[in-house]
Amino acid sequence: MSVLLHTLSAAPSSAAFKDCLKVLQPGDAAVLMGDGVYAAVPDTEACGALLATGAQLYVLDTHAQLTGVTCTAQGIGLVDMDGLVALSERYCRQMAWY
Amino acid sequence: MIYSLLVVSSPVSGLSSRSAAEFARCAIARGHRIHRVFFLDAGTTAGSNFSVFPQDEADPVRAWEQLHDQHGVELVLCVASALKYGMLDQTEAARYERAAASISPAFTVSGLGQLVDACATSDRLMTFGG
Amino acid sequence: MAEKKRLLIVIRHSPYGSSLAKAAVDVALATAAFDQRVELLFTGEGVLQLMPDQDSQRLGVKNIGRQLASLPLYDIDRVYVDAEAAERYRVNLDAAAVAVERLSPHDMHRLMVAHDHLLGL
Repeated sequence: MSVLLHTLSAAPSSAAFKDCLKVLQPGDAAVLMGDGVYAAVPDTEACGALLATGAQLYVLDTHAQLTGVTCTAQGIGLVDMDGLVALSERYCRQMAWY
Repeated sequence: MIYSLLVVSSPVSGLSSRSAAEFARCAIARGHRIHRVFFLDAGTTAGSNFSVFPQDEADPVRAWEQLHDQHGVELVLCVASALKYGMLDQTEAARYERAAASISPAFTVSGLGQLVDACATSDRLMTFGG
Repeated sequence: MAEKKRLLIVIRHSPYGSSLAKAAVDVALATAAFDQRVELLFTGEGVLQLMPDQDSQRLGVKNIGRQLASLPLYDIDRVYVDAEAAERYRVNLDAAAVAVERLSPHDMHRLMVAHDHLLGL
């Protein structure tokens, strides 16, 4: 059973982002949304740090589109809201970082 | 599955309140039941009947009202937060001698016990903030 | 009320920078008052709520430190803290209003996974 679903809606420089990074583990999933989507920009420090956690990473498609984050790093999947609901079915607890 | 949602941020700031309403819509479409949406802190302003949005912007209050009207989703504003943010139903408006109720009829005002019950009753609790 | 679920409130906000700190304490007390299981984890800036010697007298706002001191009265006795963050902010946990258990990031993850619902405030 999958363990933790993180929704990360805070900018990469925020305390919330760093707090989330600290507990992310392989086996977890994290969905970037709101200002969190900027961590999907390839070759940024935040993106590298996220990828290094070994967690499954996703970015919410409408928010990526809104913010102009059209090119996302390899290893970060696009997910729509239906996909976020599907993730919440598989991961039985969610932690919101904002 | 049974879901409950907790919304802690204002619909006029950031995307979270909007995302929560869309999440609820998609969850229902996937066959889940939304037991309750509980609004806490600045999240309670989602219930405002007095907010006016420009015509070329999606009205976030309307998105919640549609969930209530079309799917019977229960929308509960935390009373302690609601009072501070000026979100009063008829009863509270009368009690505190305010001119009119300020919340949409799709919402109700109640205590934190409704959040506690939502946690106890639901398979999933999703928090939306920021 | 239905079967008991284990709730973990993850407290991440400073005590007076927003109204979320007060909301988190209120949720904890309400959960306990309704006889449900609740535990608390202070992480990041949330550890600042544990600063000793908070004194709200001159400003007339709610004293979060004092509110935390009432947790044991509600049988909330499982309170955990992000040890790294407490160290970073030099919070003297030995003098905090409530007894806490220090956790590493790995232990915080374990704690989260041991609960049914997480409430980040």
